Amino acid sequence: MKWRKWNNVIHRDLGYLCFGLTILYVISGVAVNHIQDWNPTYKIERLSSSVDLSGVDTVNNNMLALTVLDQLGETAPLKNIFRVNDTSLKIFVVNNNITVDIDSGLAFQEISHKRKLLFQANFLHLNHAKKWWTWFADLYAVALGMLALTGLFVLRGKKGISGRGMWLTGAGVLIPVFFLWLYS
Amino acid sequence: MKRTILFFILLVLMAPAVHAAAKTYGNGVNIQEATAVSAILDTPDAFIGKTVRIEGMILEVCAKRGCWVYIAGDQQGEKIQVKVTDGEIVFPMSASGRMAAVEGVVEELKLSKDQMIQYLQHLAEEKGQPFDPSTVKDERMIRLIGLGAKIEE
Repeated sequence: MKWRKWNNVIHRDLGYLCFGLTILYVISGVAVNHIQDWNPTYKIERLSSSVDLSGVDTVNNNMLALTVLDQLGETAPLKNIFRVNDTSLKIFVVNNNITVDIDSGLAFQEISHKRKLLFQANFLHLNHAKKWWTWFADLYAVALGMLALTGLFVLRGKKGISGRGMWLTGAGVLIPVFFLWLYS
Repeated sequence: MKRTILFFILLVLMAPAVHAAAKTYGNGVNIQEATAVSAILDTPDAFIGKTVRIEGMILEVCAKRGCWVYIAGDQQGEKIQVKVTDGEIVFPMSASGRMAAVEGVVEELKLSKDQMIQYLQHLAEEKGQPFDPSTVKDERMIRLIGLGAKIEE
């Protein structure tokens, strides 16, 4: 039949078009699913070290920050400095938050590294891009829906939607319904 | 033809850069006048349930899910937590040290002292920081349920 030919053409070409983003969303989906156990976007490295602040004017936040950054060998651009209280200073540089105890010279660093590929995949999947990406992602969602619908009618006969396909499609609908019943 | 396609790709890529000065999260901020964090913390009963705008430096970001931030208050040593619904707003790690305007509803998190210790211990674990339960005082936990934010890039 002519409609089935068009159905299969649409299914095939949408499949090709959606392949890249689907794989990206698969990777991000699994990563974000386990957000309770890890940060899927950043790898956080925490370091404790000592700095020598003797001879530095402890009231001068800029001088303190420069001394700390120099001793830690931190060269990333400075974002901000914040004096928490008389004995504690926070220094924010790109990808590193440093908290210094001015009395003891103890410096606590929280260095964040973007996870390769996952950062980009999550950026798109969680729609942090917003703007035009929102519309593209909507279009992709519609394309996925069409891919699913046209997929039902690719084959005729016993392996099509009137036979084996019907049972598998039914199972695919019932499994989430079962979990809804189980956890609601 | 190739040049035309490249031109349009460049246009799309440049579009986000035009608005790179401040990034909007959630509903953004609509209230014009900011409320001082110290006012909220000093007289919380006057603010509980009200939607306010606060401004200040982001001191900490939830390292796991980006689901909370601490905003510095206008008085030394003061800070207030802004909690957002997981996934609805995700604060990036890069937001720490940036100036932010946040809009949200003032809430009191009613916890017993033991529950408060557990909660703060959980936050410290998320940050990978040491935690001393003896530092927890009997005080009210006032925070904002964040609806939107604007963070300087």
